[in-house]
Amino acid sequence: MTPTQILVETVLQAIVSGLFLGAIYGLMCVGLAMIFGIMRVINFAQGDFMMLGMYAAYFIFVSFGAQALFGSILGPYVSVAVATPILFAFGWAVHRLLIRQVTGIRTADLEGEGHYAQLILTLGIALALQNGAMILFGSQLISVRTPLASQAWMIGPLWGEAVAIFLNKARIVAGVISVAVIVALWLLITRSRLGKSLRAAADNPEASTYMGIDVDHAHRVAFALGTAVTAAAGGLLATNYPFQPFVGLEFVIVMYAGVVLGGIGSVLGAFWGGMAIGLVQQLSILVLPTQLQNATIFVFFLLIVIWRPQGFFGRVSERT
Amino acid sequence: MSTFLRSLLPFFIFAAIYLAIAMMVDNSYYQLIIAMVLVWACFGLSWNMLSGYTGLISFGHASFFGLGAFATVLAQIYFGISPWIMLPVSALIGAVAGVLIGLPTFRLRGHYFALSMLAYPLAMFYVFQWLGYPEVTIPRVTENPALYMQFGDRRVYTVLALILLTAIVMISRQVERTRFGMALIAIKQNEAAAEAAGIDTLKWKLRAIAVSGAIAGAIGAFYAVVILVITPNSVFGMLVSAQALTVAMFGGVGTVWGPIIGAAFLIPIAEILHAELGTYLPGIQGVVYGVAIIVLIIAAPEGVYWKARDIVRSRRPRRTEQDRQTTQAAPAPGAADAAAEDRRTVHDEVVLDVRGVSKNFGGLRAVQDVSFTVRKGEILGIIGPNGAGKTTLFNVLNGFQKSDGGQMLLHGTDMLGRRPHAICAAGIGRTFQVMRPFKRLSVADNVKVGAYVHAGSEEDADAIARAAVDRVGLSASSDRIAATLTTKELRLMELARAIAGKPEILLLDETLAGLGSDESKEVVSIIRALAATGLTIVIIEHTMQAMVQLVDRFIVLDHGQLLVEGLPEEVTRNPKVIEAYLGAKWAANA
Amino acid sequence: MLEISNLTSGYYEVAVLHDLSISVNAGEFVSIVGPNGAGKTTLFKTISGILTPMAGAITFEGQNLLEVPPPRRPHLGIAHVPEGRQVFASLTVYENLELGAFTQAGRAAWKENLEKIYSWLPVLGERAGQLAGTLSGGEQQMLAIGRGLASSPRLLMLDEPSMGLAPAIADFVFEKLIEIRRDTGVTILLVEQRVAEALQSADRGYVLETGRVVLEGTHETLQADDRIRQAYLGM
Repeated sequence: MTPTQILVETVLQAIVSGLFLGAIYGLMCVGLAMIFGIMRVINFAQGDFMMLGMYAAYFIFVSFGAQALFGSILGPYVSVAVATPILFAFGWAVHRLLIRQVTGIRTADLEGEGHYAQLILTLGIALALQNGAMILFGSQLISVRTPLASQAWMIGPLWGEAVAIFLNKARIVAGVISVAVIVALWLLITRSRLGKSLRAAADNPEASTYMGIDVDHAHRVAFALGTAVTAAAGGLLATNYPFQPFVGLEFVIVMYAGVVLGGIGSVLGAFWGGMAIGLVQQLSILVLPTQLQNATIFVFFLLIVIWRPQGFFGRVSERT
Repeated sequence: MSTFLRSLLPFFIFAAIYLAIAMMVDNSYYQLIIAMVLVWACFGLSWNMLSGYTGLISFGHASFFGLGAFATVLAQIYFGISPWIMLPVSALIGAVAGVLIGLPTFRLRGHYFALSMLAYPLAMFYVFQWLGYPEVTIPRVTENPALYMQFGDRRVYTVLALILLTAIVMISRQVERTRFGMALIAIKQNEAAAEAAGIDTLKWKLRAIAVSGAIAGAIGAFYAVVILVITPNSVFGMLVSAQALTVAMFGGVGTVWGPIIGAAFLIPIAEILHAELGTYLPGIQGVVYGVAIIVLIIAAPEGVYWKARDIVRSRRPRRTEQDRQTTQAAPAPGAADAAAEDRRTVHDEVVLDVRGVSKNFGGLRAVQDVSFTVRKGEILGIIGPNGAGKTTLFNVLNGFQKSDGGQMLLHGTDMLGRRPHAICAAGIGRTFQVMRPFKRLSVADNVKVGAYVHAGSEEDADAIARAAVDRVGLSASSDRIAATLTTKELRLMELARAIAGKPEILLLDETLAGLGSDESKEVVSIIRALAATGLTIVIIEHTMQAMVQLVDRFIVLDHGQLLVEGLPEEVTRNPKVIEAYLGAKWAANA
Repeated sequence: MLEISNLTSGYYEVAVLHDLSISVNAGEFVSIVGPNGAGKTTLFKTISGILTPMAGAITFEGQNLLEVPPPRRPHLGIAHVPEGRQVFASLTVYENLELGAFTQAGRAAWKENLEKIYSWLPVLGERAGQLAGTLSGGEQQMLAIGRGLASSPRLLMLDEPSMGLAPAIADFVFEKLIEIRRDTGVTILLVEQRVAEALQSADRGYVLETGRVVLEGTHETLQADDRIRQAYLGM
């Protein structure tokens, strides 16, 4: 292979890995966008909801028979499908018991319209979940083991006998499922009565009340949906990414970066934002040491928020 | 003893008791906890300096802490530099890092600020790991260990920590009672209003983050010395940033007592749990913090200190009806100045010349080519129905919004395009339609915030504030907490705050709104008395009723345009005005 | 139909309305006029439940409204067209109307309501697919009214529909209101700054000043009363 061919191959490989990883990131971001975009609540614990999704999928797969019943190839995806509604219920409960106390009309007279309280509360939830998970699950790295993670499809050779791209099967499947989930979610939000009421509540809570929409309830649905979607992304990621209880920290910034990049309030924008982050991360490996992969994302995030807080896809900028 | 030291007396008593207890403990593990309580209290105070006073929540204080810690350890490893030197150097590093981080990040507010601050330490975390420092240890010094801040008796660390804490508390109190603290509190309450009161908000925020970063850097250095071994996670990790915020939030934000109370409660609990159960339940510390935060934010969202203070306050006999009556019975200043009012003269000199000012929002032309002049000593009323563009006009005039054309000549100099604090300093003060008092401050302190623009010293500011409170007739209430004032008193307080900036021209935004007719008459006579002292006043109002008694001249805005200009009796008879207010059909009938 | 008695309400602890009593009979068109700051919007927000009153009672068709959670109130047949229009800017005109029909009654009569709304306010039909935020002020006001009508209300509450509109457009909005009322017989409660238009179309009117009713009566008696002029112009 000539040096040019090697370069082309590495770049292509990075782009393709970035796209499929980006699809999973995109799904995570969409989950966060549901919460951040509709309720304007910063949920610090979003990464930890994802971590719960990963562990839920893991235990359903290993301990609750998904592996035994559906095998190692289908099993992981069945586990994700089962974990998602569980995390929906979890999100519902967290909103009902905790988040509701510091959002909505009742926070109007708190400092900063309650943003203060929301940030701190979700930080508390994040700490409790991370460390609670460490107590319950231990801190060793685990993953939902599927043979797909160690298999790859090869595309190529593309250039004479050289330049071939390898696609990790677990990532491809996860990426494709992510896209499917997002399409379904998009249809739900734009077409259904429920989706419209969510969008109305996000757009103008006061006017929504005048329409007879229970904004508190809409927020609860959004919170639960957002939790479930991010958890599903976590479950999919768990098939090809070893994790531990603090995995959420690595991703919470990824998610916010994606949401901000996509423009706050835009669910589809969040998907493209996540995709962009995936690409940046994979391409950064070409020029930077692997350990700095995550640092790159943080720097990228800072650059975005500081230079373009309204995002690249967003039209509306949040009032300051 | 100065009042400053006297106000610190409770702290000194606390410090003495704490020291006595520390000296009696000989178990070295407990000694470590005792020192750690102070370390985290200091770190909490550092967070409080920025986030507590300005309200900009930082989730990234670990940046400064970690930089200080790593600098100190690495300096000793590589260059043999003693922590005694590195402690102040770390403070400097923290301050510089604060300014470097603050410069870009202060462009953001609320959510974005908090999130961005989180990204800094996490990025540093990976950088230090990549640099090859998964764990660094302070080298043991056998010869003259004290030169390297190493002591066999751990109680020395407690003494040192207590000295650090005392210094930080004194710095905090000093900040609190001077214009520095006042500026920060004003930013927290309402950044726009602070700018309008002549405060250069960016400058003060940068100072705050520099001081805060310095404290965090120094305390990070000290932490490394005490704990000996540090890892990127133990100094840059999210738990570190969270700890600063937790102790401060738990104890109470915006008071020096908060972080101390928080640390004194939480650190021993977490440490002891960690020691007793850490082997079986390795994350118990984090869970305790997490749950403490959750419970706290729901039960006492403002922290233990404020909750306790509110409870104590409410137990004390409330201000009774009688109190109120005495304040009511205080001589109305309007009456006292009635004679002066009669002598009021409007000069020919034009102080403010507004020429062709326009402002568009997208397609909406909120203000279109508005021109008018204001003469010295005049009271000019700007009226017009809802949405006529009156407040937008004020926002353009005092620099909140950029104009899309036009000039505003103050004694011949065009002021449009300058920042609000500069316009304020040049002599244009304003009040706001929506009142934003600094609720927990007294009337006198509220007014003092506005007095710094032209005050050389604290005493000056106090004197100016007192005079301003006098002029609006609130002297009897000057020690009351703003939260207990009536609407009328709040309006007067805002008026006092604006005149404390010694403006030449005062822009009043709906000062009469929400007042009953008697109250409104009272405020009108106070405003007239102010004008009698040579102050030029421009006042916006929706309703004409009280205004006809107040102003010398009206300009009427409708749909962003100047409709009519003239004396009150002309304006109220003008068919165009009647139409704008009462509708075309009414005008036809009349 | 709507009975408000001795209502005191406001923001936080500051009362804006004092001991206010107002009633609206079924089929009536009642206008409340008064200069800005008189408490008109506060009154509407209290009826809709955004604000909780400090004292007093509100009943709607005999039911104690204060016991009904705010988002349930529209389902009783009360439509609130808020001050400043408050359309859902990021949704299309059609979706805004759909949200207006969020109530049971609105959904049941969706097709015919939509047809009627389009015939009263044809501009909404022409712009059905456009985002509401891109409409002009007058069009947004019509959308807000159309959205209110989509719920098949029995009581239509309008908060300053003329606000920020050029006089000709404001006149057009008032004409539409009269037309809609003639066609449907819906009960209307209107608050307005523009006294002449508001009183002309109304059966009865109240004049509000600093949170209190200072005058009430039929529009003829009110229009003849010089006190209105005084309330607005001060002399």
